[in-house]
Amino acid sequence: MNHRGNVTLARASAPAAASTVQPAFPHPFPGHKGEKHLPAEVFVNAHRANGHHENGLLRDSLHVLEQDGVWHVISEDYSYKTEPYYTILSYELMGRDVRPASSTVLDAYVVPICLERARQAGIPVAEWGVSQGYVPLPSIIYGLNYFATSADFFEVRDGKKAKEVIAHVTNKGKYPFCFQKIPADAAIRSCTSIFGRTTGSCPAVAGLARKIYRVFNIPLVTLVFVRTKKGWLLSSLAPARYSRISGDERALLTAYLSRRELP
Amino acid sequence: MSRRLGIFVDRKTLASAEQLTALIHCRDVAEARGLDVDFIFPVDISKIPKMDALFIRARTDPMNVTYVAAQMAAFHGIPVIDDPASIRICSDKVNMYSHLMKKDVAIPRTVFLSKNDLSVERVARLFDELGTPLIVKEPSTSFSLRVEKVNDISGFFQVARRFIRLSDWIVAQQYIESRYDWRVGVLGGNLLYACKYTIPSVTFKIQASVNGHVVYCGVESVPEHAIPPHVVRLGKEAATAVGSGLYGVDIKNNNGDAYVIEVNDNPSLESGEDGCYPDIYEQIVDHLLPGDTP
Repeated sequence: MNHRGNVTLARASAPAAASTVQPAFPHPFPGHKGEKHLPAEVFVNAHRANGHHENGLLRDSLHVLEQDGVWHVISEDYSYKTEPYYTILSYELMGRDVRPASSTVLDAYVVPICLERARQAGIPVAEWGVSQGYVPLPSIIYGLNYFATSADFFEVRDGKKAKEVIAHVTNKGKYPFCFQKIPADAAIRSCTSIFGRTTGSCPAVAGLARKIYRVFNIPLVTLVFVRTKKGWLLSSLAPARYSRISGDERALLTAYLSRRELP
Repeated sequence: MSRRLGIFVDRKTLASAEQLTALIHCRDVAEARGLDVDFIFPVDISKIPKMDALFIRARTDPMNVTYVAAQMAAFHGIPVIDDPASIRICSDKVNMYSHLMKKDVAIPRTVFLSKNDLSVERVARLFDELGTPLIVKEPSTSFSLRVEKVNDISGFFQVARRFIRLSDWIVAQQYIESRYDWRVGVLGGNLLYACKYTIPSVTFKIQASVNGHVVYCGVESVPEHAIPPHVVRLGKEAATAVGSGLYGVDIKNNNGDAYVIEVNDNPSLESGEDGCYPDIYEQIVDHLLPGDTP
């Protein structure tokens, strides 16, 4: 006897139209016999987080907003094989127009791919290369392997530190790494983008945040830039923790979650 | 001017003389077809836009440098095996089984479990649904690593706790006993080769560590006329559910019923799989760069 299609996708959120939800219930795989619809259970709870009453901004919480047939998945971290990643994937497999796409979040968090994709969209990016040992100085170094995250980067300005960092990010030479050569007087700056909007940043960065959002569609993300005399260059995109965003950023994000702002 | 084929390799994942020999053979085949061939190492990724096609022969994963190579080729419109989508799907068993499910391809009974679903009640139900023993897989397993057979709830939790550290979701699957797996190689939806992977008697996997020693399966290339037609058909169906590139589909054929165990991108070609199919590399090169047959 063949057992065809008896797969259960356990856990994915399922919002009713234009609502914010948290995933808390399993649903069968959409292609499974007789299970064509997501359950429309919705609960919008006010949680107390970090001393503030917030609209569900608890660590690891995940929210889905539907707007004009587009499903926006909001999370701190969209990394490969996380609950948000699988939530996005399950929506895609159901044929939903979901943002960000699972392929996009993988692109966003692997630094060379992120930069090439951004460059092709006309966004100025840091010059990068892949190496297994050599690095020009000064540089920013990112790991490039299964265990690396774009949230961990290292600015190296001398050979001794470069050697230590390379040994660390390559697991003593086991993996290659990504480097970005930067001018000696460059500075590294980061900000949080919420649906392509920033709070308190200069017009140049605000404009880049909008462009980056149009390419990657990630509702909540940390933008890391290299500031040079010639302007701002994108260095990477990284997860953004609810606990680390400013009060203004938290207010903006909460406005989206409570639908006072629309994606 | 000759067209250029890039062969992406990573010396860190080159594990045997057979792999090296196979790479050289691939290069010779491409050169005999009038192509210029460059071996592309991770540090050479910037050369990829200058290639006319890219053949990846290194361990693939969406988080490692092979995926960067595949995406660089795709961004520049360069034909590539393995393409980024195939890497994404095949590297993650949740994604892979979901695609097979969507196309109604026969697989063992399979359940995905979130870390938040790991209760004694749920796992007890799992044994009712899938039978005993059952197989637990961490989604990004390859070479049968992080695939375990469990016989009871306690054993399940021992394995699941280990796997959940690597993935928020894990896969539980019905156990199907077999002495060998079929490996059906498919290229562009067509049969490329087939062989049998004989499971070592000391394990249920095609590769396992037993008492500190790695035990490998036996490989027996099988001519097309000797493969059960329904196995070929299922292999093609499974590969097509993933994409139009190069895949190795593992199939268990149990009492006449065939089930896809997994679809592999970047299938092994150097362990004797091609014994009855001496023109595998010719077909791959022609698929990537048609029109260069001498």
